[in-house]
Amino acid sequence: MLTQRTPWQITRSVWYALYMRELLARVINNRFAWFWMVFEPLAFIAIMVAVRVVVFGREKVLINADFIPWLIVGLLSFFLFREQMIRLMGAVTANKALYAYRQVKPVDTVFVRSGLEGLLKTFVFSLFIVFGLLLAIPMWPQDWWVVLYAWLSLWALGFGIGLTLSVLATMVEEVGIIFRMLTLPLLLISGVIIPLTYLPHHLVEYLLYNPIVHGIETIRLGFYPDYHTVQGITMQYLWYWALSTTALGLILHLRFEAKLKTK
Amino acid sequence: MIEIKNLYKRYHNHHANSWVLENVNLTIPPNVSVGLVGPNGAGKSTLLRLIGGMDTPDKGEVIRHSSLSWPVGLSGGLQTSLTGRENAKFVARLYVPEKDVPNIVKKVEDFAEIGAAFNDPVKTYSSGMKSRLSFGLSLAFDFDVYISDEATAVGDKAFKEKASKAFKEKVGQASLIIVSHSTGILKELCQAGIWLDQGKAIWYDDINEAIEAYYQSAGFSDKKKLNYRRIARKYKKMANAQKQKISALQNQITELQEANPNP
Repeated sequence: MLTQRTPWQITRSVWYALYMRELLARVINNRFAWFWMVFEPLAFIAIMVAVRVVVFGREKVLINADFIPWLIVGLLSFFLFREQMIRLMGAVTANKALYAYRQVKPVDTVFVRSGLEGLLKTFVFSLFIVFGLLLAIPMWPQDWWVVLYAWLSLWALGFGIGLTLSVLATMVEEVGIIFRMLTLPLLLISGVIIPLTYLPHHLVEYLLYNPIVHGIETIRLGFYPDYHTVQGITMQYLWYWALSTTALGLILHLRFEAKLKTK
Repeated sequence: MIEIKNLYKRYHNHHANSWVLENVNLTIPPNVSVGLVGPNGAGKSTLLRLIGGMDTPDKGEVIRHSSLSWPVGLSGGLQTSLTGRENAKFVARLYVPEKDVPNIVKKVEDFAEIGAAFNDPVKTYSSGMKSRLSFGLSLAFDFDVYISDEATAVGDKAFKEKASKAFKEKVGQASLIIVSHSTGILKELCQAGIWLDQGKAIWYDDINEAIEAYYQSAGFSDKKKLNYRRIARKYKKMANAQKQKISALQNQITELQEANPNP
């Protein structure tokens, strides 16, 4: 006879076991994982800086913010969202073999992945800030709390959308393919590379329907409080999205748990 | 004790929505080992998955009053980039409080008998070593009921004997529910039997009666005839393979002859 545990104890030990398993498999036993985690954004930044020099020349495009740190902050914030969405989408299928252990539920794998991915991205972001400062790039957050709040909000948004998609993409494979394709256009319309102030007003009005924009512009404001962004940036809108998609995702997981296990 | 009440199960990938299991009512008493017999496709594995909670019934329910293992010898849950020890730790964390984890890992190591390879990644294992590890994992926990699907068929001969000896030692504290085509194993390890026939499940207190009922319905009066048929099928297959090889060689010869008309 095994020792009796409460449901909460079981859930906690499942999370811990899954977390250690993912961490070991993804980071410790994979020598190149760290390299790519840092190198991918680095390469992206290098390319974008090159593009900027070609397109804009030496002309100053931002008011009260330097282009390179502005780009680093935007890209890393966007990557946080993107990785949450993409990685969570694959979590249920990737851990399919584990549902033979009855206490592991599909939703657990999504929670654990979100936690691990978020922590890794946070670590990489801190690394960029530290190295940026060492290279005398002005990357010191002026308002720590705003930065932290916006970072966690983008995490929550990625989690909510990833949670919902983890069910949909497992049930209908095409959903996954479409959303993977959507990441590049999303990058372009989130104001990561092209400053929003550079775009005509009637276009910006539509871009503000995208919740990622609000998170990214807020985190930049945390770094550079005097930075000129567009009117209408509000975190409330982002949280509407984050909370409603999280609720929807949880409902879907509850409703389709049995289907997800055998899919 | 395991109660199965008004259980219905079907899969929707057939043209006709016929029930794989239809209105199954069974009570498996504690400390009685049960063998599931029936022809291929009768639903033996399905019933086992439903009992183990890896699949959900369309109607009815399975009530488990005892702790149940996952299918013994299941190797799908092994993460191949992790070592045997790390995999053992993962499963132990799912089932026991953290303080008992080292204990379980020790038991797995002792039972698997794979020596230093226990600390190597599972992807370097041979299939025999993998099955030793999976067996060790299942037997390290004190479940009330172990479920197994043809599992005793994997591993080399000496190890198979060790596994069935380990099961026999657990008689009194634990019982088995197994699916196997080998009557030897069924008779050796089980007392009772369930014969699955056209969606119905019939309980026999004596495993020999269940096997006899199955053979009679299949048109074999005894095991020998079944064996002869199996042997005949095997030779037919071998003969067909040889025929194909011969015709392939003949084709090759004609091709070569056409290519070099004057040798």
